[in-house]
Amino acid sequence: MKLSKKVVLLGHFGVGKTSLFRRFVDNEFSEEYKVTLGVQIKKKLVQLPDGRELSMIIWDTEGHSDSIEDTRKSYLLGSHAFIYVFDITREQTYSTLKQDLEYLEKHYTKVPAKVLGNKLDLVNEKEITSHLKSQNIPFDCLTSAKTNKNVQDFFSDLAKDITK
Amino acid sequence: MQYQDDHLQFNPQIQVINVSYDGVIKETDNTFFNWSKGALIFDSHPFFEMLKVYEKDSHTEEEDPINFPCIHIEDDNTQKICDVTFTLKKDEITILLYDYTVKYKDLNQIAQQKNESILLAKELELRNKYLLEKEEFKNSFIANINHEIRTPLTSILGFVEILEKTKLTFEQEELARIIKRESKHLNALIDDMIDLSKIESGTLKVVEERFAFKDLINGFSEGYAKIAEEKQIIFETNIDSSIQEYLIGDRTRIYQILNNVLSNAFKFTEEGKILFSISKNYQRTNKLSLNFRIEDTGFGILEENIPYLFDRFTRFEKDKQVSGTGLGLAIVKSLVDLLNGEIKVTSQPEKGTVFNIKLPFKFEVRKTIPERKKKKYTLPKSTTKFRVLVVEDEEVTQYLIMKVLISHGRFFVDVAINGEEAIKYIERRKYDLILMDLNTSKIDGYQATHMIRNNYGDKFISEVPIIGFSGKANEATKDKCIRSGMDDFIAKPFEQEDLIYKIVKQIAKKATD
Repeated sequence: MKLSKKVVLLGHFGVGKTSLFRRFVDNEFSEEYKVTLGVQIKKKLVQLPDGRELSMIIWDTEGHSDSIEDTRKSYLLGSHAFIYVFDITREQTYSTLKQDLEYLEKHYTKVPAKVLGNKLDLVNEKEITSHLKSQNIPFDCLTSAKTNKNVQDFFSDLAKDITK
Repeated sequence: MQYQDDHLQFNPQIQVINVSYDGVIKETDNTFFNWSKGALIFDSHPFFEMLKVYEKDSHTEEEDPINFPCIHIEDDNTQKICDVTFTLKKDEITILLYDYTVKYKDLNQIAQQKNESILLAKELELRNKYLLEKEEFKNSFIANINHEIRTPLTSILGFVEILEKTKLTFEQEELARIIKRESKHLNALIDDMIDLSKIESGTLKVVEERFAFKDLINGFSEGYAKIAEEKQIIFETNIDSSIQEYLIGDRTRIYQILNNVLSNAFKFTEEGKILFSISKNYQRTNKLSLNFRIEDTGFGILEENIPYLFDRFTRFEKDKQVSGTGLGLAIVKSLVDLLNGEIKVTSQPEKGTVFNIKLPFKFEVRKTIPERKKKKYTLPKSTTKFRVLVVEDEEVTQYLIMKVLISHGRFFVDVAINGEEAIKYIERRKYDLILMDLNTSKIDGYQATHMIRNNYGDKFISEVPIIGFSGKANEATKDKCIRSGMDDFIAKPFEQEDLIYKIVKQIAKKATD
């Protein structure tokens, strides 16, 4: 049987979830902002280092305004990983990060959640890293869907993690 | 986003699919997706991989349907946004697809507008921040480059003045004159750049002071009459005699505006005349509006060029025949706006140009107090020369100041290269005055002054007059000098007369204390 894992992109609206989704799956990027309503789902085959092939089913969900609790529960059902995306240029998109992670940890105990700060092309990497650290904002990776910086590496590492 | 759960309200089309627990399509009515019986539903769209979560034998009775609202499902032929329900039965799963594409597209438009407006506000905030940072960088760059240019320029101008006083051949005199003219031009360019930078950053403050308006205008009349004579053109002034002798306004900026427009008129007029007239627009209680009209018979400006006249670095074809930075009229316009005035220009090529400038003033209704004139100071009587300590790390400037002071005839000069060395000097010898560069290494001018004023009981040391000097020629620097304990400040490049005046003034004041 084919190896298949469901990965859900979560986070506030306008943080670039769809851009990351399109960049990873189709290697495309558009400057135009288009709201995602509900959920879009695509499949991407990822070659694992041990030779196996992973069918990554990625759910690009509609961004929430206040907290992750607004996200439909059924979208999260059967997930193997969550990617919590925030916009490094918009503080309100990571203002609820800690509570949101606690919520996920409480209700989806076995599902790992990775935190990703997007739109790295708009700021100085050193400055934003030190700013986020000074604010105690936990994150696993900073990316730019626009320039493709760290996007492919992030998903490759995630694929390895969830197939261990 | 809240979704409508009432399927009936929107009367959607519904597709019914029955699949086995291993994903094989057993039945489908193909209402909008044409999928074959016997095929794997996982291959139809990745959404259906969800079905793998459910196991066959754990659902003995029909359970409540599981709802998945607003799922984007597409195949090669059809794209739909559906609400999907899975009903888990004993041997199969019934999937219902409710087509709400139209409803969701409507909702999408509303969400798009709402989110876009929030994101746009953030984008504008970021853009604004970026522009402010850029502006800050530009201003600090201009301030620094100003300092770096003014220091060597001070030396050039100073040495040319000294050179002019020596015996020179005609050719050498001419060369010295050119160096002086070009250096002054460069100095004016720096002044213009700084003014523009201040105007743009909003740091240029309008000063309201009482000043002798008629003296200012007489200064123009006399100064430009000489130039008119040299150029063999006519210069006429026509000033409304009812205008008050003293007015309240920003004298420096008014001078700058009129001088700029007048000097342009002289630059571009080779024959004929220049008429400078001032009249009242209105006068109410203590307020007055004046119209300054400067009319020349010069080159004139092409009609299509007039809209660009006040743009920065604007130099039209004819302008290239005369010197200039292309910043003058841009500054004039900005200053007129800053003073809440108005400037208009009309022109005809080869016939001449007319500038009309309206500026508001105030005046004192009751009394007239004569303006304080620059007080004269003389050095106290002494059989010995006055000893001046020059604290300066740049050799050329050291040499220039030494030359100026020594050639005056009544000063001895010692030179220290920084604040630390200056402290050593004053402990060894009594000085009548210290000329302190503000930016020397180790201990800077402010720190050295603070130490001199506070660390010594000996009044010859702690009360020695100190004049700060720097290429950073602004009010803030002067204020900082005075606050740190200095008696005065002189900006580079300085006129030799000004330097001597300030030194003599401080020594004379100290002698009378």
